[in-house]
Amino acid sequence: MLSALDVSTSALVAQQVRLSAIANNIANLSTTHDETGAVRPYQPRYPIFETDEAVHGPYGTSGVKVASVKIADVEPRWKYQPTHPDAAKEGPHAGYVPYPNIDLMSEFTDALETTRAYEANLGVIDVTKEMVQQTLRILV
Amino acid sequence: MSAVNSIQASPLTQPRVLSGANGPGASGESSFKSFLLDSIGQVNSMQQDANRAVEQLATGGEVSPAEVFTAVQKADLAFHMMMQVRNKLVQAYQDVQNIRV
Amino acid sequence: MISNLFNATTIPVLEQVVNFAQMRHQVLAGNIANLDTPGYRTRDLSTDAFQDSLRRALETRDEQTASFAPPDAALNPFAPVKAGLEGILRHDDDNVGLEQQLMEIAKNEMRHNLALTIMNNQLQLIGAAISERA
Repeated sequence: MLSALDVSTSALVAQQVRLSAIANNIANLSTTHDETGAVRPYQPRYPIFETDEAVHGPYGTSGVKVASVKIADVEPRWKYQPTHPDAAKEGPHAGYVPYPNIDLMSEFTDALETTRAYEANLGVIDVTKEMVQQTLRILV
Repeated sequence: MSAVNSIQASPLTQPRVLSGANGPGASGESSFKSFLLDSIGQVNSMQQDANRAVEQLATGGEVSPAEVFTAVQKADLAFHMMMQVRNKLVQAYQDVQNIRV
Repeated sequence: MISNLFNATTIPVLEQVVNFAQMRHQVLAGNIANLDTPGYRTRDLSTDAFQDSLRRALETRDEQTASFAPPDAALNPFAPVKAGLEGILRHDDDNVGLEQQLMEIAKNEMRHNLALTIMNNQLQLIGAAISERA
């Protein structure tokens, strides 16, 4: 019965990672440089969820873990700013600055979904605690 | 459902039986003994009814939790009342035993 | 004689109901945890199959008591119910939604608490009978 707590907690941890990734993406909406200082727009990060057999309950039910955080590889959003120091000097995008191609609306929707899943798992933890406490009353 | 409804009609819940003056006293010898055995039988059958109701609930029958709880509580109260009667009888017997002849 | 004391009540039945509710809760909690895992198929323990198994165990027990034979301790009629839980795990064909899952968890919890309350009541009744104190 207590393994249900482990399973729900693994979900909380995973959703928290997802929320961090979303917050990261939104924070870096206008980041044109990467960590090394080169002119490369920020690519959105997406965590990949996977069923985690290590955290398991009876009958094969298992928890969830973040298998990896994938860095997307999408075309940047080009914005015409010829006086910007990061504008491309030549080529088809001369005078354009590459910005990260992050859609604010879909990131917010993901955040809402994450919150919903987080709250659902909190609810399940409450139910688990309640059931265990009721069971204790057999002895009282 | 009918098994549970039969509990409603149990004579144990009606005051007529307890008023003793014209009832069992007038019908002859060993009436109290038969009254007692009868009541024990009724308590037992109420317990059986409550057990059936619980089993029906556990196996997905059409009985509602309210009916089950009512049946269980009635059987409970009937049992406790019988317990009190039994304690009083034992005490009365011991009192009689202590009468100095 | 002592085990007959409990077999005559509904305590073994309710014990199976509580056990089933707890097992099912763990399976459903796993579903909620894997809400956003791609490719995950929701699972459930079938209530109907459990109730059928319980009904059969009750019939076996009634036959045993009706025959007035002293019940063999090794033939606990409710043992197959617990052992059979393994076989009633179901995978759903299309994933059941979050609200449906949460409702099943709530219903399961209510059944669990209901069975526990009645079981406590029965145990107290036996305690009252033993201690001769109404």
